[in-house]
Amino acid sequence: MSEATDQLTTTILAVILVLLFFGVLFLVMLAYYNYRRRQTAREKKEMRAVFDQQLMQARLEIQEQTFTYLSEEIHDNVGQLLSLVKIQLSTLEESSVLDLDLVRETKENAAKAFRDLLSLAKGLHTGHIRSQSILLSVEQEAQRVSKAASLEISITTDGEEKKLSEENQLILFRIIQECLQNCFKHAEASFVNIGFTWYSDNLRVRIRDDGKGFDVDRALAGHSGLGLNNILNRARLTGGSADIKSRPGEGTVVTIQVGY
Amino acid sequence: MQFLWYQYFELFSLLCAVLCRKGLNFFSIGIMIPILILDNVTEVIGVNYPFFGWSDNYFVYDMYQILSLPLTFWLFSRMLDGSRKQRIRLFIAGGAIEVFFIVNLLFIQGISEFNTYSALIMEIANIVLSCLLLTRLAVRKDDESGLLMDPYFWINGMILIFSLVTIIVLGSVKYISAHHIKIRHILLYRQILPAANAILYTGYTGAFLLCQKLRTN
Repeated sequence: MSEATDQLTTTILAVILVLLFFGVLFLVMLAYYNYRRRQTAREKKEMRAVFDQQLMQARLEIQEQTFTYLSEEIHDNVGQLLSLVKIQLSTLEESSVLDLDLVRETKENAAKAFRDLLSLAKGLHTGHIRSQSILLSVEQEAQRVSKAASLEISITTDGEEKKLSEENQLILFRIIQECLQNCFKHAEASFVNIGFTWYSDNLRVRIRDDGKGFDVDRALAGHSGLGLNNILNRARLTGGSADIKSRPGEGTVVTIQVGY
Repeated sequence: MQFLWYQYFELFSLLCAVLCRKGLNFFSIGIMIPILILDNVTEVIGVNYPFFGWSDNYFVYDMYQILSLPLTFWLFSRMLDGSRKQRIRLFIAGGAIEVFFIVNLLFIQGISEFNTYSALIMEIANIVLSCLLLTRLAVRKDDESGLLMDPYFWINGMILIFSLVTIIVLGSVKYISAHHIKIRHILLYRQILPAANAILYTGYTGAFLLCQKLRTN
């Protein structure tokens, strides 16, 4: 009887100890789970802060580039036209007879300067870019660039157009704008194709030119790669990616993928 | 008058609760003070039952179960801080258990013996609710302070440990008494319950101090 009682006592104690063990284990596991959860939340917060900082930096860079671009456009394009208008007006002023052809030409030049200014303003206005579809913004920009740089630009689309988030739309537009500038400033291209492919969860934009091409790795490593790095970083900021493929003499293909 | 060693833990816990009452109210667990008063009074009466001329103290603990259940459920409802619907569900469950306790006391196990069914149900309810609350805490809490700095973690953790340890003992009180299951010549539950109580009230005390500290912070 005593042995049986001892066995029972041991069994009860063992069960209690097992339950106690599981209780403590449960608490430890919860505490560990919570620790990991908090750690992940902290890391996410830090990543968010870094991302915000990068976004801010990208915005500043975009702003800076926009100013440079604006200054160059006014100087090279509108400025030239207005100088020409001024010379034409001076010629008219000095001339004793009214040259109607010159007046018409001056008027056309003034109108062209005005149109270029309007087009420039449209391309720069952030609210304008955000409010309309990316396709329309790119079409307008393409028209403007093709006129200014005598560059043939074609736009092709595949799939049903979807709305991008405002932030992503603006960043993507600036990337495309930068690519187009590269095409006529550095690549000496005569033809550019911008292809939009709308997938279910992301948009792929492929910008292909027939320019002189370059060594991508060398360009990215050197000082001249600043603009290319900007393209890659900005694409990353949208949560997407960018890929630049080029070889000397073979043109350039920039592929950007952006989520909606 | 007898005052057993683990009762000091209970009394100290009550003192801390009273001293830290603002902290307890800040964390919506002011109900802990009446719970601890009930615990202390029950324990004093239960330990000194010969003083009142009773042959056993079962009735004291049976009554304690009936009185403490609503307070415990109220405490859980405050800590769970659920929606109105969830609170109503909890009170319905508590009400049903309370009715069973009374029926058990009056008609099933009676007042002359320890109501083991009630004790088992009480411990199971404690285990389920404390697990639910602890899991919720672990999943929801993602601020810097962490789970170990949360008074609810300590209160529920200790309730869980206490209930897991005592569920076997309280469920088999009658059997242990009848078969004289002892460790070092003392009945098993008289060995285990005081230690479990000491752990429970130490946890409570820590939680109360945390409440006060976090409130002043």
